[in-house]
Amino acid sequence: MARLELRGLRKQFGRGVVALDRLDLEVGSGELVSLLGPSGCGKTTALRIVAGFEVPDEGEVLVDGVDVVGLPASRRNMGMVFQSYSLFPNMTAEDNVAYPLRIRRQPKAERQRRSGELLAMVGLATQADRYPHQLSGGQQQRVALARALAHEPAVLLLDEPLSALDAKVRVTLREEVRRVQLELGITTLYVTHDQEEALAISDRVAVMSEGRLEQVGTPAEVYASPRSPFVASFVGTVNRLEATVASRAERTVRCGELVLRVGAEDFEHPDGTTVALYVRPEDVTVRPLTDGPAPAGAGGTVRGVTFLGSVTRVRVDCSLGSVVADVSSEEALHLAPGEAVSVELDPRRLRTLAPA
Amino acid sequence: MAALTATAPARPVPARGPRRLARRRLPIWHLLWLVVAAAYFVVPVVSLLEFSFGGRVGGHAAGFHWYLTVFNDPSFRSSFLLSVRIAIETVVLSNLLLVPSVFWIHLRLPHLRPVMNFVSVLPFVVPPIVLIVGLIPFLSPFTFLYSRPEVLAFIYVVFALPFLYRSLDAGLRAIDLRTLAEASANCGASSASTLLRVVLPNLRAAVIGGSFLTVAIAMGEFTISSLLSFNTFPVYIFNIGENTGNEAAALSVISLLLTWAFMVGLFIVGRGGRAGAQVAATR
Ligand SMILES: Nc1ncnc2c1ncn2[C@@H]1O[C@H](COP(=O)(O)OP(=O)(O)OP(=O)(O)O)[C@@H](O)[C@H]1O
Ligand SMILES: [Mg+2]
Repeated sequence: MARLELRGLRKQFGRGVVALDRLDLEVGSGELVSLLGPSGCGKTTALRIVAGFEVPDEGEVLVDGVDVVGLPASRRNMGMVFQSYSLFPNMTAEDNVAYPLRIRRQPKAERQRRSGELLAMVGLATQADRYPHQLSGGQQQRVALARALAHEPAVLLLDEPLSALDAKVRVTLREEVRRVQLELGITTLYVTHDQEEALAISDRVAVMSEGRLEQVGTPAEVYASPRSPFVASFVGTVNRLEATVASRAERTVRCGELVLRVGAEDFEHPDGTTVALYVRPEDVTVRPLTDGPAPAGAGGTVRGVTFLGSVTRVRVDCSLGSVVADVSSEEALHLAPGEAVSVELDPRRLRTLAPA
Repeated sequence: MAALTATAPARPVPARGPRRLARRRLPIWHLLWLVVAAAYFVVPVVSLLEFSFGGRVGGHAAGFHWYLTVFNDPSFRSSFLLSVRIAIETVVLSNLLLVPSVFWIHLRLPHLRPVMNFVSVLPFVVPPIVLIVGLIPFLSPFTFLYSRPEVLAFIYVVFALPFLYRSLDAGLRAIDLRTLAEASANCGASSASTLLRVVLPNLRAAVIGGSFLTVAIAMGEFTISSLLSFNTFPVYIFNIGENTGNEAAALSVISLLLTWAFMVGLFIVGRGGRAGAQVAATR
């Protein structure tokens, strides 16, 4: 299997629009890396440069150490699944999948064997002679995946392949993409703006913003230890609170009425500086004020309660600011708007960053 | 609230009945409109038919006399075949010229489309007579071409341009050309393969539609072929008409039937493969 490296990719459209600004990224052999970022941050541009549909102004695309920027798309040996439906309307599912093999003049028997095998792998063995318009959106994207894999490409590229599908199908299909990818062990670059999708299926996630990489890491790293305010707020939901460094040596910050000891190692802020304190809703505990011993948290009032299924999201105004917390829906039964509560933050999960 | 929910399901039931009935009955003025429109096309054809059986020959009714006269005239066959040949050449030539260019314009030079839209209507604006006067000095050095009827095909391509271009342009706009072309390239196909295997099959309807009009133009063009003195079918009809009106009418009826037959033939040939027909049927 192949290794894919993007080195110093730069791409400018017209005057002023810098779609990519020195992008460096490595995708190891057999690895699935997601390019995650908001709309317009240059994900598609990066993928199209890798596929050969766009020429970078600067930089290299290396496949196993060989620069492919000079090669036309048709000679790059990459498989791509597009965001919009891209099946050839005049061909059946089977003919679509066999198309890359027909182009390579493989014998008919071999084409049939291979397309049958791939359609079975994406669960469409019985729909082989359907035309694209006779398939659902999800089925069309499965066929597109099978077609992208037919010629055994070195690299698989997917550009938001699931964004046109409804939520349920999206979840099943992303798992299917991952299963197929692991089964074949194919090096894969997966573009998405859906952070949940990226976290769910990737070996590593590369978070992009405005043409630059913000952070690359395993889903757990990116989620738990965001390295920039952008990553912290883009990946998952997060509370951003204002705090002042109480003591650098003791790693403590003052936030509202609380003094908190920060768990993360890279605490480098000088005493007295203002920092942004990040905490995930699931790391916030909200307790009703009952007659027991006074709790250690900050006092506050419940402002809103949103039922999300297994958890309930509670918004509390307190001396720390406005904080959202995810509590189990059972506990949330005791929380109603207007109720006085105490808010605690899990110190091990606190992250501080210099404010942007 | 209770009253509302009670009446809500009841309402559509009586409303639906009369509306269905109304849809079945065609309002009288719709019918009238259709009749007037149809008359526009039918009346000339009917009078043509009547005239083609009219007149008296040797004291009794003509019957099929004029038709037989036409069929017995060797010039009839040769001029008709000449026109068919030129029509086929025009269709082939204009498609060869336009399909790849429109494909490239759509794919690589989309900003040229407004220019093409303008250029493609020029043949409408320039009268044929002006066109031919301008073309003769240009064509006359190419004697091998100039003396052959193929020169007409070359000229008719210009007349066919607006129709075929517009048809192809609409056909390409209807498909997601960029994505299909990129998907095909990604599968390893060259541009030529993409054009032949992906784009053309999806443009079948546009090619056939444009080609129909091209045939109609090539089969019916009179001014230029007459000026260049080629005995094409319209020129032949005109010459006959100078002698006998009835015979010319019979000839026109035959030419109508033959042209229709030719177009049906083209349609059947164009529909070709099973897949294309299926796609066309479900669109
Ligand atoms: N062909 C083009 N011409 C001009 N500007 C372009 C072109 N393609 C992309 N851009 C610009 O480059 C930037 C990055 O676009 P890109 O399509 O890569 O974003 P993206 O991250 O894929 O966004 P999305 O999630 O909406 O698909 C955008 O500002 C976009 O407007
Ligand atoms: Mg995109």
